[in-house]
Amino acid sequence: MAAAGGGGAAAARAYSFKVVLLGEGCVGKTSLVLRYCENKFNDKHITTLQASFLTKKLNIGGKRVNLAIWDTAGQERFHALGPIYYRDSNGAILVYDITDEDSFQKVKNWVKELRKMLGNEICLCIVGNKIDLEKERHVSIQEAESYAESVGAKHYHTSAKQNKGIEELFLDLCKRMIETAQVDERAKGNGSSQPGATRRGVQIIDDEPQAQSGGGGCCSSG
Amino acid sequence: EATSNLRPTAREKMSLKSERRGIHVDQSELLCKKGCGYYGNPAWQGFCSKCWREEYHKARQKQIQEDWELAERLQREEEEAFASSQSSQGAQSLTFSKFEEKKTNEKTRKVTTVKKFFSASSRVGSKKEIQEAKAPSPSINRQTSIETDRVSKEFIEFLKTFHKTGQEIYKQTKMFLESMHYKRDLSIEEQSECTQDFYQTVAERMQTRGKVPPERVEKIMDQIEKYIMTRLYKYVFCPETTDDEKKDLAIQKRIRALHWVTPQMLCVPVNEEIPEVSDMVVKAITDIIEMDSKRVPRDKLACITKCSKHIFNAIKVTKNEPASADDFLPTLIYIVLKGNPPRLQSNIQYITRFCNPSRLMTGEDGYYFTNLCCAVAFIEKLDAQSLNLSQEDFDRYMSGQTSPRKQESENWSPDACLGVKQMYKNLDLLSQLNERQERIMNEAKKLEKDLIDWTDGIAKEVQDIVEKYPLEIKPPNQSLAAIDSENVENDKLPPPLQPQVYAG
Repeated sequence: MAAAGGGGAAAARAYSFKVVLLGEGCVGKTSLVLRYCENKFNDKHITTLQASFLTKKLNIGGKRVNLAIWDTAGQERFHALGPIYYRDSNGAILVYDITDEDSFQKVKNWVKELRKMLGNEICLCIVGNKIDLEKERHVSIQEAESYAESVGAKHYHTSAKQNKGIEELFLDLCKRMIETAQVDERAKGNGSSQPGATRRGVQIIDDEPQAQSGGGGCCSSG
Repeated sequence: EATSNLRPTAREKMSLKSERRGIHVDQSELLCKKGCGYYGNPAWQGFCSKCWREEYHKARQKQIQEDWELAERLQREEEEAFASSQSSQGAQSLTFSKFEEKKTNEKTRKVTTVKKFFSASSRVGSKKEIQEAKAPSPSINRQTSIETDRVSKEFIEFLKTFHKTGQEIYKQTKMFLESMHYKRDLSIEEQSECTQDFYQTVAERMQTRGKVPPERVEKIMDQIEKYIMTRLYKYVFCPETTDDEKKDLAIQKRIRALHWVTPQMLCVPVNEEIPEVSDMVVKAITDIIEMDSKRVPRDKLACITKCSKHIFNAIKVTKNEPASADDFLPTLIYIVLKGNPPRLQSNIQYITRFCNPSRLMTGEDGYYFTNLCCAVAFIEKLDAQSLNLSQEDFDRYMSGQTSPRKQESENWSPDACLGVKQMYKNLDLLSQLNERQERIMNEAKKLEKDLIDWTDGIAKEVQDIVEKYPLEIKPPNQSLAAIDSENVENDKLPPPLQPQVYAG
């Protein structure tokens, strides 16, 4: 694909990233993405039909990013299906509830599996949600953060209810995914071009010209 | 080329292993047909890997050469047809038959469109045969069905709007189809690989050479997929060389064996007692079954997406909030179990192998497709634990000894259709009503009796009282006229005044 042409031409292109959302039942995965993509929380008038597949367009320092967020079923009985979901994903957001120690243990399981299946290619984010319930915290900040560091993931504190830390989380993740993609591109640019190799990897396609180009920050649309 | 060079070596290793195991083989039979001294292999028509590669390469080169020639001829022909079609506007037939079409007069053109359509297609067929008879390459008996004809026509019409790029695309597509004809004997994975490579190169060329904007590339790619897959479908859907059919039957049997699974066991967040919801469940089932009837991978994906949207609606009506994956997947599993869609595995394999990858990897359709794959994987591996049942219960349900519904003392089978279920419900209701009616009758009778008893009681009481305190009425002994008879001094009163008349 054109990606082999080198990193220099990437400025005019858009990155397409697939991000999987993992987490146990009640940790607030849905609230998190709905807050990010629609800026809504527990709204009785939500017109959104579903929160399982959402997209967002970003502009990060002039680089356009199309983000596709794939929610996954978090119930224990579906645990074995994980690999089908996170195949070919560029990033993973692993959410736990700070008031629920169990949900943090689940995150650890997923991390192990993701690293086993996708290696270091994937950008991991461990997210402690519901910081508005700080008083009922059952997962220590220190433990969570040092664990994240030990597995090469970044840790974030969020509250979907109070809209805290969510923008930062996604922005940071996108930046990291762009970096990974660029390293990947350069590696491919140096080596001989391998047709078919890029097909299963990162998709780099031209973006439509009408996409807005906001200054520095990120501009959102549908 | 790189892959085809790699494959024989891998096979060589395998075959060597198998030959070591085999005992009764003559040494001479094992050697390469070319006599180079190395071992040959029946998979390479008796050549050794090296000689086979040479032979194969030669044959391939020749074939590629022929493909090119054929493609170029087709291209020339197409250009002529293209030019002529622009000169005669409004003609509805295929571009191939433009010349014949011109000769026919206005009256013959007015025959019904169906007739015209068939005559046009048959003419195309005959022209092709003649042309292929002349050609050095082996002829291709392409059976033209109504659908493939319609799709080709639409494809050509569509490409016309892109002028030069359109022609280029048509040429490439034709060439690809011709080359695929020779690859029919290859494994399905290799055919899939070729198709995927083709998608990639065409899209790339359009962007770099044709400078086509991306959203248009997407549209063109959809049309290309539709065109080539309508033609290839017959050969690459559930091919005999794979065990797709076996898998189809296996999953079908499995779903049948799981007929007893209830929405409660799967924790499906959908309440089918709401008429609107049960309506949407039925629609979702219809959509997923309809998938098998489509030929183009993208159309099959569209069926899955439609099904998913109906599921989301059902969840939304039940729960009144946007559905998450936690809600969606169990419901999809339930829909697949209820619908038992035909040739499920074949369809999934076909989409995976031949769909335009950009759609499958990142888009919304891809997400729903992935969920369907998950649903099938779950159904295949489902056990007692995943339904929160004890192993004994699960085994008993699987063997058909008992059904979970019977235990719930409901006396109809879970498979009964909606009408029958409704009937049972109504019967139940009627018997309840009957009971109530009887109760009311009894109460009424009791009330009546009570009332009678009460009046009797009152009458008796009154009688008793009357008897106890008999009422003696003394007859009056003085007349009313002597009301003042007891006035003794009456006589002393002055006489009453007499009326007097005054004159004047």
